[in-house]
Amino acid sequence: MKRTLLGFAIGFAFTLMLGWIAFPRALYTHKQQPFTFLHKAHAEKSGISDCGECHAFKDDGEFAGIPATEKCASCHSEQLGDTKAEAILVSNYVKPGHETHWLVYAQQPANVWFSHAIHLKRAGLSCQQCHGSYGETDQVKVYQLNRISGYSRDIWGHSMSRFRRAPGDGMKMSDCETCHSRRHVEVGCLGCHK
Amino acid sequence: MKFTRRDLLAWSAGAAAGLIVTPIPWKLLDDTSIWSQNWPWIPQPPRGPVETKRSFCTLCPKGCALRVRMAAGWPVGISGAPDNPATRGALCPLAYGAHQLNWHPARLKAVRHRGNTSSWFEASTAFAKASTEGPVVIIDGFPGRSTSQLFQDFASKRAAQYRVVLSPEIRSLRAYEAWAGVPATALGYDLENVRTIVSFGARMLDGWGSPGRFSHLWAEQASGKTDPQLRLIQIEPQLSRTASRAWKWISIRPETDSALAAGIARVLLEQRLVRATGPMPRLSLTEASSLTGLGPDAIHDLAQVLVAEKPTLAIADGDNPAVAALNFVLGSIGTPGGIIQTTKSAMPYLPAESNIDAARAVLIDSSVPWDFDVQTEAEVFRFAAWDGGSSKADWLLPAPGFLEELTDIPSAPGSSVQTYSLTAALTRPAFEVHTAAQFLQNVEPQIGKPEEIIHQRCAQIFKARTGSIYAADVAAVSNCSSPQKLEEAMWAGAIWMNEPLYNSRLLRSLREWPTEAGSATPQNSENTWSPGILPPLSSKLYCESNLCESSERRNA
Repeated sequence: MKRTLLGFAIGFAFTLMLGWIAFPRALYTHKQQPFTFLHKAHAEKSGISDCGECHAFKDDGEFAGIPATEKCASCHSEQLGDTKAEAILVSNYVKPGHETHWLVYAQQPANVWFSHAIHLKRAGLSCQQCHGSYGETDQVKVYQLNRISGYSRDIWGHSMSRFRRAPGDGMKMSDCETCHSRRHVEVGCLGCHK
Repeated sequence: MKFTRRDLLAWSAGAAAGLIVTPIPWKLLDDTSIWSQNWPWIPQPPRGPVETKRSFCTLCPKGCALRVRMAAGWPVGISGAPDNPATRGALCPLAYGAHQLNWHPARLKAVRHRGNTSSWFEASTAFAKASTEGPVVIIDGFPGRSTSQLFQDFASKRAAQYRVVLSPEIRSLRAYEAWAGVPATALGYDLENVRTIVSFGARMLDGWGSPGRFSHLWAEQASGKTDPQLRLIQIEPQLSRTASRAWKWISIRPETDSALAAGIARVLLEQRLVRATGPMPRLSLTEASSLTGLGPDAIHDLAQVLVAEKPTLAIADGDNPAVAALNFVLGSIGTPGGIIQTTKSAMPYLPAESNIDAARAVLIDSSVPWDFDVQTEAEVFRFAAWDGGSSKADWLLPAPGFLEELTDIPSAPGSSVQTYSLTAALTRPAFEVHTAAQFLQNVEPQIGKPEEIIHQRCAQIFKARTGSIYAADVAAVSNCSSPQKLEEAMWAGAIWMNEPLYNSRLLRSLREWPTEAGSATPQNSENTWSPGILPPLSSKLYCESNLCESSERRNA
């Protein structure tokens, strides 16, 4: 009997290690952004305190998302410092007029419709409530690509169990539903899946 | 120590128990479901700048105003434009998913000749040859466009016939065309000023006219009210959706609309409930009663209701001279809340018939509903964006799909005012398509281009200095600085609307009650799309959006 229990325990422990340690490492692969961008450095050196100064709304209320190279060029038309990242920005993107193909941590599937204007302006949410404190980091966050779904790990969240997560860790539909439920805001299927 | 079968089973049981408390099964299930949304054959909107453009729907002649959400230059979402006074933000369920239609499996991607793949060159050569050998008939589904003008130009240069598939709204106005000499396309229904509508089978709340026009009026003035400002009396054998939501539904025997119209007119005239003194229908009240299945008292009561809240307007589902004559008796022609003239410059059209004799070739434009099929020995060249199934066409020619064609949109059928709008080609087709006008230009290069006619029409509107341009703001045409500015505003999604013309002399007398039946309703209707080309989200959208009234409200 003891031997059977031992065999059961070994099998149990094996899959626990497989599932919690090996599986996440196998599932996600690390990708590099085109060049290093530091939110904190920009906030401190240029005095930008509001996310909306770069991640702005257009005149028609549409959210512009990641700023275009033109916005970067307003300060970095010429190289200001001696970092490698800035050299790449100026030589590869600003001067030729190319857009930077950033790996977007919050990229959602194409069947998801999300309005930043409604959530920020009407509901009064802060950027950090969904995006976490990424805007205050002093190093580039590693982009972990899910090999199966093709989206960033930020969608599922960094906690594989999804328990005890930090605010803004995870952008699954259940996260939207939880927030909506807490705030008693009813949205049908077509509210987000147009 | 020997590893036994029992050990293996115990290990496996432990592994299985352990597995369900790891993220493996749950995460794999989640990821594979997302992965299945991204298979390569599933169209994905491209990544790129997102913007909203204004345009107009070209799926049917009603030309509803659209707001098109574009991602990297491709349409990814459609919604109505609430600031458009004609459609007021409403769309039919088909339009909400119409940007998907361009990717529908039934999309016609190559020229087909009698079931086999062919080429544009062969089709053009065959048409050019046929047009020199005998008469050509061109059939149009949306008359009044710049393309329609090119069809007419081709017809005049090549002695061809130009015919039009008329919508039910226009067909219901054909009796007035015969009596007043004003083309049916120059007439409309002044629904905005009417108090009582008696509809003889016209599906008023199911997209009749423009989807947004009547449904908004009804929602504002009638919905949920016991004594509404707008009364809709639906006369129809079946309890249709319109009938179920109307103020009153009166069921009569099928095909007896004319008899009921005559019965009502007789009561109105005999009891002097109206100003008119004739024409008196030959049908007696008893005969009308026995034909329709309604008692004489019911017809009498209905006549009383029609004159209780005026203006009253009778609307038929198609060509019905008796219903048209009832409007004359009611005094509803040329007056506010009645049949009114919208323009003085429209031309009458020859309606297309299914049977076409003595033609060498028939060219059917892509605007003609697929269900319209001609019975002819002639060689049929049919333009279509989607293959709707079996067709007698010898040549099937791929036409531009939704938002792939630059065109203009004249007044919607039955509109009370003249309108004009333009649609730019917001997206490009993934394969070679041509419009029927481009096809005809290969044969007859002198017929011009749609853009030239659009320039001319915008210049005419500017010169006339009447009406207003409606976009986010309203601007009188008289305030426009140049025809170019006006055209520029219209390309950006504005619509020009003229003032209504109330011409009380439109029809001053009607000698006798019409005896002839109206022309038989063709099998096709204005927007009968076969289910095979419905975008998959259409029915879901209809059910879940507020286009479909809730059951609680309906039963209230």
